[in-house]
Amino acid sequence: MIRAGAAALRAWSRGRGWAALSTAPPAPPAPPEPRREEPPAPSPVLRSCHVPVSPPLSPVQAWVESLRHPKDTLRGLADLHPDVFAVSPRLDILHTVATWQRNYKRISHARVRTRAEVRGGGRKPWRQKGSGRARHGSVRSPLWRGGGIAHGPRGPTSYFYMVPMRVRVLGLKVALSVKLMQDELHVVDNLELPSSDPRYLLELARVRCWGHSVLVVDTNEFPENISAAAEGLKSITLIPALGLNVHSLLKHQTLVLTLDAVAFLEQRLLWHDSRYSPLVPFSLPHRDLPQPPRAG
Amino acid sequence: MPLIPPSAPEREEGNSRKRSEPHTESRILAGAELRAGGRQERPCGAAQRIGRKEGREVEAGRAVPEKEERSEPSLIHPPPRRRSYVPPEDLQSCLESHVREVFGPSVPQDWQQAPLQENRLKHRLLARLAAELGHAVPNSQLHRMRHAGDVLGFYRSPVKDGTKIDELAAAELPPNLKIIWQQ
Repeated sequence: MIRAGAAALRAWSRGRGWAALSTAPPAPPAPPEPRREEPPAPSPVLRSCHVPVSPPLSPVQAWVESLRHPKDTLRGLADLHPDVFAVSPRLDILHTVATWQRNYKRISHARVRTRAEVRGGGRKPWRQKGSGRARHGSVRSPLWRGGGIAHGPRGPTSYFYMVPMRVRVLGLKVALSVKLMQDELHVVDNLELPSSDPRYLLELARVRCWGHSVLVVDTNEFPENISAAAEGLKSITLIPALGLNVHSLLKHQTLVLTLDAVAFLEQRLLWHDSRYSPLVPFSLPHRDLPQPPRAG
Repeated sequence: MPLIPPSAPEREEGNSRKRSEPHTESRILAGAELRAGGRQERPCGAAQRIGRKEGREVEAGRAVPEKEERSEPSLIHPPPRRRSYVPPEDLQSCLESHVREVFGPSVPQDWQQAPLQENRLKHRLLARLAAELGHAVPNSQLHRMRHAGDVLGFYRSPVKDGTKIDELAAAELPPNLKIIWQQ
């Protein structure tokens, strides 16, 4: 007992304190906690403009994010061309292009019959003079009940018209600039998702405060995970970069572009700034175009 | 013809329509309508008339909610678009230490004039600050951060995560004005 007491005193002096007085067998020393070595931060993804930016303009920038984890938002820094992502906010051009998009496909099929098409009404109903009633020539005139309509719709009517190509291109540039300046544009390095669960995408959008609706744009084929996840969702839409249009940009609250999509858009939209006017419509085959341009 | 009990959205829109159209036919009163103080049921003699009009009402009921949702603005509180941020006390010293760490020996005399032209250094500095302070520079302001002084000015301004209506609701309102979000 004295030996136990001496051992306890020695343990106390070594600093174990009150715990040294307990007679329970000493607990085995806890294995040293593995030192959490933080994985070395991956080198930042930096993107510079492929098309040279002429002074005094300087490129605007955006964070390059990643979809692998909801908090992975500072992967890198991308330079965006100011002539595409920092043009002056021409709301009238947005209105022009959005209205054109709504109307140029419209064919109104409303049609009503005129007095010539309504059945009957060839004979004069009563004599011109002497009957006491008003004079009439046909029972199907627009004055009569059941008669034809004088100036009604004579469909099918087409509301097709074209807005110049440069105005449509400027509309896209203005829409992209507005999205960037309102903090609704995000650049992503690629669209790899850890799982194909739609709830993961919704959680990601909620954590990053992306808003009600998200438009995701990529040039290549979409990976399986994200296409499976977005299939059932109504608030997240995937479109190829060729399908980018002002109406979709205004309809969705947030825009997510991949780096490939940014390069594609910059190249295609900037080509129109320095091209010749077409002698022959662009829809016909040309030998010297970088890519055949698409209308609209 | 047995009367079909209305489903939940039809009950609610039936309530709102009842206030606007006082002469619609009555239906089987469900929970919400009873709570709202539904009207008396018609006697059995008018069951056929009720049946036909009920059919029309149910069809209109299915069509009207879409129109009502589209025409009226949503009264549900929207999700916050930004996180709130309050600048800490030692912001300047913290920023200075980070700038000296990132730039190393090439920091000019006045650390606030350190240029952020190179993307690598800019990303490193801004990523560190965002990780430490929990508040990142948004995309629209990134092109304005040309010197460390701009970054300091950005991090000095606090950010609130509420909408204008939340600020109004928190302020003192006259007694006849109430602001309530629909849950």
